[in-house]
Amino acid sequence: MQFSKTWLQTFFAKSLDDYDLSYLLTMAGLEVDEVLNLDTLSDQIIVGEIVGIEKHPNADKLNICEVNIGQKNSLQIVCGAPNARKGIKIPCALVGAKLPEFEIKKAKLRGVDSFGMLCSAREIGLQSDENDGLYELSQNLEVGLTIKEALSLTDKVYTLSITPNRGDCLSMLGIAREISAQTKLNVNNMTVPETSHKFNNSQKVLIEEKNACPRYCGIQIKNINNTGKLPQWMISYLERGGIGSINPVVDITNFVMLEQGQPLHAFDQKKINGDIYVRRAKKGESLMLLNEQKIDFMGPELLIADNDSPLALAGIIGGIESSITPETSEVFLESAFFQPEEIAGRARSFALNTDSSHRFERGVDYNNTLRAIYRAVNLIEEFCGGEHSDAIDLVDKLPTRHLIKLRLTKINKILGIDIKELEVEDILKRLNLSFSKKEDHFEVTAPSYRFDLNIEADLIEEVIRLFGYNNIPAITPQSTSSITKTSAINKNLDEIKLHFSNLGYNEVVTYSFIDNESEEKLHENKTIIELNNPIASQMNSMRSKLWASHLETLTYNVNRNQSQVRIFEIASTYHKHNNEIVEEQMVSGLAYGSKYPEQWSEEKKSINFYNIKGDIELISCNLLDILSPKSSIPTALHPGQTGEIFREGNHVGWLGQLHPAWQQKYSLDDKAYLFELKINSINKSEFNAIELPSKLMPIRRDISVLIDKNIPVASVTDEVKSQAIKWLVDFYPFDIYEGKGIENNKKSIAFLILMQDTYKTLEDNDVNKIVDQVLNILQSKFSATLR
Amino acid sequence: MDHLKDLINQAQSDFSLCKSLSDLDHAKAKFIGKSGAITDAMRQLSSIPKEEKPKVGAEINSIKQAIEALLAVRKDEIQSEAMESQLKSELIDVTLPGTKQSTGSLHPISITLQRVETLFRSIGFDIATGPEIEDDYHNFTALNIPESHPARAMHDTFYIGHHVLRTHTSPVQVRYMKTNQPPLKIISPGRVYRVDSDATHSPMFHQVEGLWIDEKASFANLKGLLQDFLQSFFEDDNLTIRFRPSFFPFTEPSAEIDMSWNGGWLEIGGCGMVHPEVLKQVDINYDKFQGFAFGLGVERLAMLRFGINDLRPFFNNDLRFLKQFIR
Repeated sequence: MQFSKTWLQTFFAKSLDDYDLSYLLTMAGLEVDEVLNLDTLSDQIIVGEIVGIEKHPNADKLNICEVNIGQKNSLQIVCGAPNARKGIKIPCALVGAKLPEFEIKKAKLRGVDSFGMLCSAREIGLQSDENDGLYELSQNLEVGLTIKEALSLTDKVYTLSITPNRGDCLSMLGIAREISAQTKLNVNNMTVPETSHKFNNSQKVLIEEKNACPRYCGIQIKNINNTGKLPQWMISYLERGGIGSINPVVDITNFVMLEQGQPLHAFDQKKINGDIYVRRAKKGESLMLLNEQKIDFMGPELLIADNDSPLALAGIIGGIESSITPETSEVFLESAFFQPEEIAGRARSFALNTDSSHRFERGVDYNNTLRAIYRAVNLIEEFCGGEHSDAIDLVDKLPTRHLIKLRLTKINKILGIDIKELEVEDILKRLNLSFSKKEDHFEVTAPSYRFDLNIEADLIEEVIRLFGYNNIPAITPQSTSSITKTSAINKNLDEIKLHFSNLGYNEVVTYSFIDNESEEKLHENKTIIELNNPIASQMNSMRSKLWASHLETLTYNVNRNQSQVRIFEIASTYHKHNNEIVEEQMVSGLAYGSKYPEQWSEEKKSINFYNIKGDIELISCNLLDILSPKSSIPTALHPGQTGEIFREGNHVGWLGQLHPAWQQKYSLDDKAYLFELKINSINKSEFNAIELPSKLMPIRRDISVLIDKNIPVASVTDEVKSQAIKWLVDFYPFDIYEGKGIENNKKSIAFLILMQDTYKTLEDNDVNKIVDQVLNILQSKFSATLR
Repeated sequence: MDHLKDLINQAQSDFSLCKSLSDLDHAKAKFIGKSGAITDAMRQLSSIPKEEKPKVGAEINSIKQAIEALLAVRKDEIQSEAMESQLKSELIDVTLPGTKQSTGSLHPISITLQRVETLFRSIGFDIATGPEIEDDYHNFTALNIPESHPARAMHDTFYIGHHVLRTHTSPVQVRYMKTNQPPLKIISPGRVYRVDSDATHSPMFHQVEGLWIDEKASFANLKGLLQDFLQSFFEDDNLTIRFRPSFFPFTEPSAEIDMSWNGGWLEIGGCGMVHPEVLKQVDINYDKFQGFAFGLGVERLAMLRFGINDLRPFFNNDLRFLKQFIR
């Protein structure tokens, strides 16, 4: 909602300059977004009149104009505007005038002197005009007047964000009412006489949908002249209200809508065939709208129609066929009340948001319908001539305003203030809320223009709004003293993040959206979750993995010369299982490039699988097993360098090198490693059972064996550990060798055997027994030979 | 006997020439070794008259002790010289950078959320989370935003079939209130989505919403809590807040929260008293319980806290940006 301050001032006898209007409106809940000051135009731009015009001898498109500026001598000005002609009044910038874009100097145009410039609307900083022609001023403006005065450019334009509950403030009247409530200034009385009619209304109107359209007023006007121009002040108010001038009748309906908040619609009476019906659309019907958008109706839409066809989408927009043109001489004017629920959402479903639908869906004052139509009729007759019929006023079940109970105790308890009964009374009066006082409460009735006051809480808001939000004290609430049950999962999230960051990973936050091609090919998702209304094609699906986003992040950073990238993210992934959408929180990440950042003390080395595996083992506190894949390996990963991650035998994630084909596709010079882990798999619910350390020294023996190259080492260590050999406390490989001196299909592994008795130091005898047991297993199960 | 006395001087000069412990061992042999001069002198004691023996013996002993003392002193000297030279040879340039892995970091959004959570936990708030792909009921209807209500246009919603990407974390509050009885205090942090993208809007961003329901939590308490929180968050005891009337379908009365910032006011979030209709949806008795809810933009808090005036770096994930967030 935007409006002219000058217009607003006409509603008050007292000057609004005494108030900080922006602050006042904002603190009333009508947030001021912008105040545009129009008082910046040069005084040397004045009203001029073209009194003579002749072709420029040396240029086809130029004219030499003789311009009367109200002084003894007229000015000679060369002008190229197509609409320059004798008799029109235009803004004339004198030599020395500063325009928004440049300064006017005396000039010679193709050999002819020119002493100024005739201006278009854009050139003098009026926003609405887009064509190149001269801005044609109203004929009744006095020549020589500054344009600033002539167009009352001392004005300010306020732009408000009106919240959906305050539909009553989508008009000058509504804003004036609000200011009155806030300041106690009286709003000027505006009388709208129901002038007597000259002929009987011949237009029959049939309301088939009385619930949707409980009130419908109509008046016919004949013999109008719709070719003139409305006075400048009216055009200015409209333009400053954000509505461009079209023709007098349409402008007047818009003017009344801005003034009264009642959307009106004017039909060309001659285009209406027979009766008017307010009815539902039928499937197959269509309508070409004023904005030249064609609508095919589905069935439930509310229409204004005649005997033949739809005329308008009720309460939203009219059809082009029956619209008012400069040639229109007979008008049928409509002023109706449509139920908000009927209009709400309907305009949006056709991607429309009109001034009319915007108001109807928020609620229009159903007691102002007739007054608004008379206001328009009076203005039309004043500026376009003609005479009107009597009014049709079909009224059915209008909304009712219930009694709302408002308790003083509840006000003070909800707000935490101590307001007195008298203050509440005063506030109710200022808001024009009728009320009666009961023993411990008020019974309040909201006026017909307030659709947002239905329950006690709504009235409490009104009380505090007028009491002043600034008068709400800030009181620290008293907290209960019970201990909060801390959510284990959230605590762990922070710990996991810290852990990764301590290992040199940078946490990233990437969009949950991805392109469906990545989903399909990189993430191999067969049941992609697509958005109905994506913001961009590369963000049209919900991701089932974070890898594509992380590869994008990698590319972004590699392109900025980062040679080492280690990133991670904890986020939801989205999956469809049997048409159910499931979200799963994953920690996912990527490592690329050198093992360490380049530094003098470390040899330059690329990361490998085991570096990342080690990081995951550390972070998961060895809860996880990263083993040869049992499930089918993701195509994103290198089939020979991928580990499947298990927790107690269940799949919880993947770790692997980015498949070389993908590496190529992403134009990466170096290898990248990707991982993903279900977040819950890293969570421990209980601490491990803690053993006290022995006072005795553990004993270590190393053995070196040759085994088949293809035997996974984990199967060897798992097997030995599973045998529960007494006093064996640890068994793991500490060196692995293949190549020179070793048979082709073998590898040499050196294992460390750590042994410890609880009560005594182990003797050689015992030690040898344990080593033999281990060797036995290695030989019998894995055909290992001692080196 | 006199030559024995010379031994002390001789030992002193011999020892002083020794550069190492083995040299010293060698030099020592000449005097107190098996065939050293002192040992010899002791052996010769048998050949001197009996009455002179004690005197001579004592003299030899004192000479021996003197030599041993010299030896010990020299030994100390040699050892400390050796240590000195070892230390000298092991000098390193401690100004060289230490060996390290690259700088890891938490995302500014995480850092911000962790701080918000810590502050609210300290007064007994619980943390609640919920799904991001929501149904219409929890995201809208239960929050008093019926189908076709103009307020729905305030939320530019992403749709997935009949589901929506949550436009706020308020549905978490609905879910929590359905399964927990008042009194309750929660914050719900997380990702939210709106169809909006420019320098100041991202289609995905983070919110933290709070909810406090008991028998007396008032609008004034809401203002007090938010002011306390923002003062703590920004570590500025002079920070004040202002409420401005606004509209949210799920609160009544509603307010925009402005905080004092650089001499002006800056909008930081929205809040209000939980709407009776919302309480009704979750079966909480409006006549017994009341409470408030608030929502803050996490990116906004982070931008202000870290002095960043652009939203985009939060989602570009440029490592040169991220690596600065170390504490």
